[in-house]
Amino acid sequence: MKIVVAYKWAPNPQDLEVRPDGTVDAGRAKPAVSEYDPVAFELARRLADATGGEVVGLTVGPAAIDTPLARKAALSRGLDRLVVVADDALVGADSTRLAVVLAAAVRGIGDVDVVLTGDSSIDVAEGQVPLTLAGHLGWLGLARVAAVEAADGGLVVERDLPAGVSVLHVAGPVVLAATADAVVPRVAGMKDILAAAKKPVEALALAALDVPAPGTALTTLATARPSQGERRRVVLEGPTAVADLVAALDLAGAR
Amino acid sequence: MTSPEPDFDVIVVGGGPAGAVAAHQLATAGLSVVLIERGETPGSKNLSGGVLYGRVLDQVFPGFAQEAPVERRITRHVTTFLTPDSAVSLDYRGGPLADPVNAVTVLRAKLDPWLVERAEEAGAFVMPGVRVDELLREPGPHGRPQVVGVRAGDDELRARVVVAADGVNSFLARSIGLRPQPPEHHLAVGVKAVVRLPREAVEDRFGVSGDDGAAHAIVGDCTHGIGGGGFLYTNTDSLSVGVVLRLDDLLRSGRTAIEVFEDYLDHPGLAPYLRGGEIAEYGSHLVAEGGLAMVGDVHTDGLVVVGEAAGLTINSGLTVRGMDLAVGSALAAATGVAEAIAAGDVSRDGLAAYRRHLDESFVMADMRTYAKAPAFLERTGMYGAYGELAADLFRDVFSLDTTPRRHLAKVALGAFKRSPVTVRQLVSDGWAGVRAL
Repeated sequence: MKIVVAYKWAPNPQDLEVRPDGTVDAGRAKPAVSEYDPVAFELARRLADATGGEVVGLTVGPAAIDTPLARKAALSRGLDRLVVVADDALVGADSTRLAVVLAAAVRGIGDVDVVLTGDSSIDVAEGQVPLTLAGHLGWLGLARVAAVEAADGGLVVERDLPAGVSVLHVAGPVVLAATADAVVPRVAGMKDILAAAKKPVEALALAALDVPAPGTALTTLATARPSQGERRRVVLEGPTAVADLVAALDLAGAR
Repeated sequence: MTSPEPDFDVIVVGGGPAGAVAAHQLATAGLSVVLIERGETPGSKNLSGGVLYGRVLDQVFPGFAQEAPVERRITRHVTTFLTPDSAVSLDYRGGPLADPVNAVTVLRAKLDPWLVERAEEAGAFVMPGVRVDELLREPGPHGRPQVVGVRAGDDELRARVVVAADGVNSFLARSIGLRPQPPEHHLAVGVKAVVRLPREAVEDRFGVSGDDGAAHAIVGDCTHGIGGGGFLYTNTDSLSVGVVLRLDDLLRSGRTAIEVFEDYLDHPGLAPYLRGGEIAEYGSHLVAEGGLAMVGDVHTDGLVVVGEAAGLTINSGLTVRGMDLAVGSALAAATGVAEAIAAGDVSRDGLAAYRRHLDESFVMADMRTYAKAPAFLERTGMYGAYGELAADLFRDVFSLDTTPRRHLAKVALGAFKRSPVTVRQLVSDGWAGVRAL
C-alpha cells in the first residue's frame, strides 16, 4: 500500500503574536510541521507498518519550505521518503491552488492508494484542502476521520461525526482528513532524526507538474477578529451554583 | 574494549553561541559533530537578547556584523545612577567604538539560528527539538567513569567527547558532580522585556542614527537596594530592558522580581524612553554572577563545559558580558578537543588541553581582571547611597536658587556630608573599585 501524507510547513502558533486590535502577526513565527498534521503522519505510519506499505511525505508551498531543518522535521516523523514542491509562485496561494498542486504531485508520485492529511492547517484553518484535493484527483474524500485500518482489500474508516461515530468500508483510492485527536503522534527521537538525514528527498519542479492556471482571481479585502459575543455578566454562587449553571446553559441553548 | 563505535566524534549539547561556535569549529576541523538543541529551532528557548562584544566572533566569522542578524552597533554607553526621583548619567559616545565593531545588540531568536546555520554549513549535524536527559558514563581507561555519550528518551548517542553548552546552572555538568550547584549569592535572576518602538522613536530618544545604538547600564534605586542593576539597550525597532537581581538579596527583601521590574519601568529616569512602547516579549532567566569564583572544573573524562555552563560571565557593573566569553571558550574547547581526539586521549588529562587554551585566552585573562568585581558590587553603597550622593551633588550644581554659587569642591563636600556614606567607606570602595574594575 502506498500512502501519501500531505502536510503543511506553517508558522508555529507558539510564536504568533496577537496585536491589541486582535489581528495576528506571524512575522516573527518560526515554521514547523503544522500543528494538526503529526496525527496524519502517525496514522499513515501505523497503516503502512500493518500492511507492509510505504509512507511518502508531500508538501507544497513557497521556496522557503525546503530547508534542511524542514526536511528533517518531516522525515523524522515516520516517513520513508519525501516529495517537495517549493516554488515562490506559490507565495500566498489560496487553498484551492494548493490542492491543485498537491493533486498534480500525487499523480506524479503514482500508484497512491491513500492520501492522509490533518484536519486543517494551523495558520489558515479553512479545512478546505483535503476535500478539494480529493475532488481534483476524482477520488472519494472523507473528513473527520478518527481511525483507519486495512481490511478486506480496502480500508475500514471510523468517522467522528456530530450525529455519532460511523464505521465505513472503503475500496479504492481515498483522501482521509484526520481529526486533531485521532491518535497521539510519536515524538521524534535522536535516532529518528539521524535516520531522517539519510532518507531520500525528491524536489519536484512546479513547472514540470500538470497544473492548470488558476481561473479565478482571489483578493482578501479585509480581516478582523471573530466577534467575541456579548458577556452576560451573570455570577452564580452558593451550593446550587452547578445546577444553576446547567439550567442557565440550557436556557441559553448552549448545551 | 567492547564498547560500540561512537556515532560521532563530538556531541555538542546546546545551540546557543557557545555550542554553535564549538560545533562550527570542530566540524571545520574535519570532525563529525552533532549539535543537539532542545528548542524546535535554535534560539527559540532564548529570551530577548543583549549586547554582544563582537571582536571574538569577528575572528570566527570575519565581517559577521554585516552578515549576521545584528540589531545596532553600540557607539554610546551611558551609566546612570538612579535615586527614587532623579537620575545622574555618565555618557560616553565615540566613533572608535564603531570601527572595528566593538559591541552590537542582538536578539538571540535571530542570532542563534544564524550561528547554527553556519555550524550546519561547516558539516555539523543539527538536531533540534531534542532534550538530553542524561550523560552516558562507562568505566574509562584510567579506572574513572568516562562520559561516552548522551541519552534522550529511549535513544542513546555515543561520542568520543561531549561538549556541555547547556547554559547557566548546567544540568549536565551538575548531573555528574563536576560542578556544584552555585550558591544563591552567585546567582541572579534577570527579568527582561523586549519593548517594541518605531525605529525613529528609538533613534530620537537615544540620540543615535543609522545602525548605531546605545547601551545604558543603570544602578542605584532601580533595584530598591537589592544587589544588581538594570540595563536598557537599543535594537533596530525595539528596546531590551531589564533588571538583574541577586537571588539571596531578592529573597531577603521579600519583594518579587516582577514588582521590582515594574517599578523600574515606571521610574521617571526610564519611563520617557519606553513611553508608548509595546511589550513584545517578557520573561526571566537565571544569570551567573559569581565571576572567577564560579569557574571551577570545566573538563573531565570525555566531557568539556563551555560558555555560561562553565560560569563564564562578567558583571563589572558597567558592562555585562556572557556571549563573547561563550564564544571565546568555544574556540578554546574546539581546539583542545580536536587536539585530544588527534592524540587519542580524551580522558581528563587529554582534555586538559581545553583548560590550557582557555587559560591562555582573553576569557580567563578578563575573568582574572574582574575577579574582584562581584565582591565590589556587593558593597551595598554601590546600590543605594552613592546614587543619592551623586544626585544630591548635581541638584546643588544645577538648582539655581538665589543663593551665591559655591565652588564645585564645596558643593561636593556638602553633598557628601549629608550622605550616609563615610570618608572611610568612600576611600575603601574607591580603592576596591580601582582594583576590581
